[in-house]
Amino acid sequence: MIQFSDVTKYYDDDLVLKDLTFTVGKGELAFLTGPSGVGKTTLLKLIYAAELPDEGNIVVAGWDIRKLKQNTIPYLRRHVGIVFQDFRLLFNKTVFDNVALALRIHDMHPKEIREDVLEILKEVRLKHKAHIYPQHLSGGEQQRVVIARAMVSKPTVLLADEPTGNLDADTSLAITNLFREINARGTTVLIATHSASLYQGTGRRVFHLRDSNIEKETVG
Amino acid sequence: MRIFLYSLQTALKSIWHEKWINLLTVLSISIGLLILSSFIVITLNMDSVLQRWSKSFGLVAYLDEDLTKEAESTLEELLRQDEDILEVRYISKDRAAQEIQTILGDDARILEDFRENPLPSSFELRLKTELLDPELVRKKAEAIQEMSGIEEVQYGEKWLSSLSTIAQMMKMGTVFLGCAIFTAIIFITYSTIKIFFYRRKDEIETLKLLGATKSFIRLPFLLEGLFIGTTGGLISAFALFGLYSVVLVKIPELLPSVTILILSLPLEAYISVTLAGALMSFTGSFFAVGKIRY
Repeated sequence: MIQFSDVTKYYDDDLVLKDLTFTVGKGELAFLTGPSGVGKTTLLKLIYAAELPDEGNIVVAGWDIRKLKQNTIPYLRRHVGIVFQDFRLLFNKTVFDNVALALRIHDMHPKEIREDVLEILKEVRLKHKAHIYPQHLSGGEQQRVVIARAMVSKPTVLLADEPTGNLDADTSLAITNLFREINARGTTVLIATHSASLYQGTGRRVFHLRDSNIEKETVG
Repeated sequence: MRIFLYSLQTALKSIWHEKWINLLTVLSISIGLLILSSFIVITLNMDSVLQRWSKSFGLVAYLDEDLTKEAESTLEELLRQDEDILEVRYISKDRAAQEIQTILGDDARILEDFRENPLPSSFELRLKTELLDPELVRKKAEAIQEMSGIEEVQYGEKWLSSLSTIAQMMKMGTVFLGCAIFTAIIFITYSTIKIFFYRRKDEIETLKLLGATKSFIRLPFLLEGLFIGTTGGLISAFALFGLYSVVLVKIPELLPSVTILILSLPLEAYISVTLAGALMSFTGSFFAVGKIRY
């Protein structure tokens, strides 16, 4: 589902990733870890084509990232749900509208949008807060809105960048369980985190990023 | 269609949310368009006046003293066959004397000192409107002067030249003002939409990451620009109508003789003002949104 082959990425003259090769299979839940600034976010950005590799190839859900044209990038991103580290919620829209935004771009009927949004909000246990503005939610609730928005269009791949970075232990556990549920339905999930507690005991593959490459691959 | 409706809804929300800046933009556009359309109307009226004046413009070809009646008839026939000449009017020596007596009135006694009628026979010639360019008229006058039996050709050279210069200056002024206001309106809308674009930068970034196409991102801004321009154009059209109605009422009171020269403005003119506003603002919005890169 996600395939990196000898990928190298520079920011100006700074080397971020060097000859990176790894694969995340269809329906797999995997973790990407490493110290801050090692290139985890850059790696995720390469997957949703916010950055392009300087060398090597990346294939995501059948899309060759290097061959993508500007006009086709949105169609790749509709297959990739993203849970951002900084949430990227719109505070002038309600929880419902934030989640619905991901479906409006699909030209869906308002009735279908309403049904799908309420269903996903129910799954993340936020249906009762659909008409509240995000600033009135706790950190954990905001994170669940972001997950709902990423999942509402039923993407084949879900990327999460430090999804529990700002949350307490209990909320982090709840969020992790939510990712497991999502993965159990067949969605490929890749979670970037520097927190070992998130992947320990999961029995899932963990890619350890260090010095611009994957230093080792372990099982959590 | 659903995307269009959603974009329209987003644009309307933004119009209401940013109502003061939008109001200022709309008023700026309507003032600009009102100035431009008023200038165009004045130019059209001036042109109409000049057209009327030019219709009465003519050349006078004075004939040789010893020209026979037959030669005069032949010459008249030749002039009538000339395609550039619309009208040929023969003025005999006696007729010329009568006309000058009428013009002089009581002062006509000065003519009694002449033993013979000193005035020559002549042809009054009216040229086609297309020919009323100072250079063309000069060439035509020279050609007629060369004809056998013609003593002299006279016409209001300076008057024609001034008339032509005024008309050209008015037209150039309209084009210049049109370009200036066109640029200004585009710039005003560009600035307003650019501000809105920056204010919604976070939303745009999120939309890009969610997989929104460029047209989905652009459409609300283009619709907002279109709305601003159309509203500005409509206000300008109504203001022009009001201003024109006042002028039509006031002019007969102040300048009764000028009334007949004023053109009435057709409905198309008001529609054009509105469409011009819409087009200019749409262009400004288009440039404001610019290139979107993922």
